[in-house]
Amino acid sequence: MRNMANKLVALVLCLTLVLTVGSFATAESSGKVLKVQIETEVQSLDPQVATDGTSFEVIADFTDGLYQIDASGAAVPALAADTQVSEDGLTYTFKIRDDAYWSNGDPVTADDFVYGWQRACDPAFASEYAYMLTDIGLVKNSVAVNKGEMPVDQLGVKAIDDKTLEVQLESPVSFFASLMYFPTFYPVNRAFCEKCGDKFGTSPDTVLSNGAFILTSYEPAATSFTLEKNPKYFDAARVQLDGLNYQVIKDSQTALLSYQNGDLDVVTLSGDQVDLVQDDPEFTTMNAGYLWYITVNQADYPELANVNFRKALAAAYDRDAICASIIKDGSVPATFAVPEQLATGPDGKDFRETAPTYEGFDKDSAAKFYAAACEELGKKEFSITLLVEDDQIAQNIAAFIQQEWQNTLPGVTVELKVETKKQRIQDIQNGDYDACLTRWGPDYADPMTYLGMWITGNSNNYGLWSNTDYDTIIKRCVSGDLAMDPAGRWDALHQAEKIIMDNMVILPVYQKCNAMMVKSTVKNLECHSIALNRVYKDTTIE
Amino acid sequence: MRRYIIKRLLISIGTIFVVILLLFILLQLMPGSPFNDEKLNVDQRAALYEKYGLDQPLIIQFFKYVGNMLRGDFGVSYTISKNTPITQLLQTRLPISLSIGGEAVLLGAVIGLILGIVAAIWHGTVWDTIATIVSVIGVSVPSYVFALALAYVFGYQLNWFPLLYDMKIPLQSSVLPSIALCMFTIASIARFTRSEMLEVLGSDYILLAESKGVYGPKLIVRHVLRNALIPIVTVLAPLIVGLMTGSLVVEKIFSIPGIGSLLVTAIQSNDYNVVIVLSFIYSAMYIGIMLVVDILYGVIDPRIRLSKEGPHD
Repeated sequence: MRNMANKLVALVLCLTLVLTVGSFATAESSGKVLKVQIETEVQSLDPQVATDGTSFEVIADFTDGLYQIDASGAAVPALAADTQVSEDGLTYTFKIRDDAYWSNGDPVTADDFVYGWQRACDPAFASEYAYMLTDIGLVKNSVAVNKGEMPVDQLGVKAIDDKTLEVQLESPVSFFASLMYFPTFYPVNRAFCEKCGDKFGTSPDTVLSNGAFILTSYEPAATSFTLEKNPKYFDAARVQLDGLNYQVIKDSQTALLSYQNGDLDVVTLSGDQVDLVQDDPEFTTMNAGYLWYITVNQADYPELANVNFRKALAAAYDRDAICASIIKDGSVPATFAVPEQLATGPDGKDFRETAPTYEGFDKDSAAKFYAAACEELGKKEFSITLLVEDDQIAQNIAAFIQQEWQNTLPGVTVELKVETKKQRIQDIQNGDYDACLTRWGPDYADPMTYLGMWITGNSNNYGLWSNTDYDTIIKRCVSGDLAMDPAGRWDALHQAEKIIMDNMVILPVYQKCNAMMVKSTVKNLECHSIALNRVYKDTTIE
Repeated sequence: MRRYIIKRLLISIGTIFVVILLLFILLQLMPGSPFNDEKLNVDQRAALYEKYGLDQPLIIQFFKYVGNMLRGDFGVSYTISKNTPITQLLQTRLPISLSIGGEAVLLGAVIGLILGIVAAIWHGTVWDTIATIVSVIGVSVPSYVFALALAYVFGYQLNWFPLLYDMKIPLQSSVLPSIALCMFTIASIARFTRSEMLEVLGSDYILLAESKGVYGPKLIVRHVLRNALIPIVTVLAPLIVGLMTGSLVVEKIFSIPGIGSLLVTAIQSNDYNVVIVLSFIYSAMYIGIMLVVDILYGVIDPRIRLSKEGPHD
């Protein structure tokens, strides 16, 4: 018995020795390789298939479009050497750089863009982002092509010659240049893609790079993959990094440990961890773009259709407390419909800078509005069900708002209903709810990505609110006289937001920011709230 | 015996068939679609459904899918890795989960057995108490806590093992996850082994063996264990399946590209094909292991083998 036990102990010790000896963590960084954490796997490397921020970020690492996004979020030319816009704003002529090449030596041609855009619109390809061309970019014939009513070659994008691309629009789009940095509009090398067939975008051998980096290791749903600097990039002189190492880590605690270990240079934290690292100079917050707000069903409930009642609800909860004590990751209280740092106007200023500050948390106001509402409605007792998704933070926020409403507005009882995200979305799309805590992420860098939601009948107008003045303003901005008048349009958008806030169509809660840790040796890491989460073209490691 | 196995196999195939049908129905009932419900309007979603054949009646979809499955085509992923054939997704992930699960089973079973044997033999002494304490801790503390603790102490502080799963050093990367996974198994097996062995140790035939002069390891292995093993094997079978199919929590913490997290993500994002394929794999493994266990019964306990074969002429 003793003998057997001894033998077993010896075996275990040997095993431990063998396993540990070969495992001392090795950081194989030859040169300046940035080690970055992402929170989910890449869904697709095909620019016309991808729909999520992570995939966009990686695609943009190795692909450039006609334009790129600069540090301030503005669109600057990338592959477009020259851009001409017609007087009526309906025709764009892009000249493509002569020194732009794919990693297999082929030059980047106008046909690459035609092919990419056609794929985005082709109903047989069924890209989930076709709406970037049909609804937002308003490319000529895109709606008909996408419905199958016209052949794909009728799409309003043509290669005049190898290096000249002509785009035609249905209506002028003032922010069209800024759409060009979305991967949906990126070029795809036709011959290469057709040769790869189904395998396109699944490995380093089935993607081509014309951008700052080249994909060196990857497989579908990989939890770690690498890129290295592309020496043939037309702007290679500006790229300081030798490569990028991506690592998928879904648990924020492991991410922080890896960061402190030196295995990662950039990580995203959860709200609970912020308390620990708040005073660390390497802690930073970046704007993530989402606006969280409460939408109320105005069609089915007379009290929710009452403006004073909505205003009472909106004034009754303390957004600062929510951000400081519940979310804690640097998210910012919101009393507006168009988030900060989303869009810059023709005056060069952020939309929020030139907008008035709307009412926020004010218990006295809330009481006043509530009294008025009770009188108008002839009721003193109200019961609201607040729908929220099963995310812990969202539930905590909803519970807090429930308390605030019940305490500040006597007679209001609130019940919380928790559902999975998909179920919650389905319910609000079907109008099957009272009030719901929901969010909206910007699709493009213009206030219209939010304001356009609340026209009558829009499928994202979950509150089923309708206002003809509002509809008129939006229509003028999208396809009317203001479409070609940047300054006038900008003012009109401000007016539109004022209507939204005066009517409290939505009850804004907060604007999402992400808490991050970035090594102090890392400089010029560009973070954006739209399209491309992070851009590494100018990043350096000292 | 052979007829028995064939009969069991046929029942198993039928069971898997029913499982897949149930899954199809359940998935249909889930809210939302695999696609971006927030941003796509009804027409756009309809076009996507048409592309993937999701607009056809359930029965047609089901038979088409089973037909494809028999030809080895498991369909593509809709959200996790768009348009990627699921066989390709599983190529790297399945072996990783299986190997980590396999290590955890081995560790768990061996250590659990040893702990249980020790507790039973030295029953009533301090060794018994220690083994019991370890068992209680192993059963009560969630694997999440173990995983984090192991990651922090051995991965971060001592740097003995990598904190994150590294495909280039699979053996070392699998140590911490296997240990975290096997704790529950160790605890369960230890407790079962202890109680079964105590029962057997107190029986007449062991008394006879001891009086014949059989003692020590020979007694334990040849006489006691074989009798105690039946219930242990019964308990081990579902534990094995659970471990092989990967634990979401452990995979999340160590960032392991395994099938546990794949299944949960697939369910949350309505990635139908991935859910069906993984559930099919789970069911097949479960049914397969139960079949193996049943055959093992016959091997371990001759009484069962004889009764299965029935009376011979």
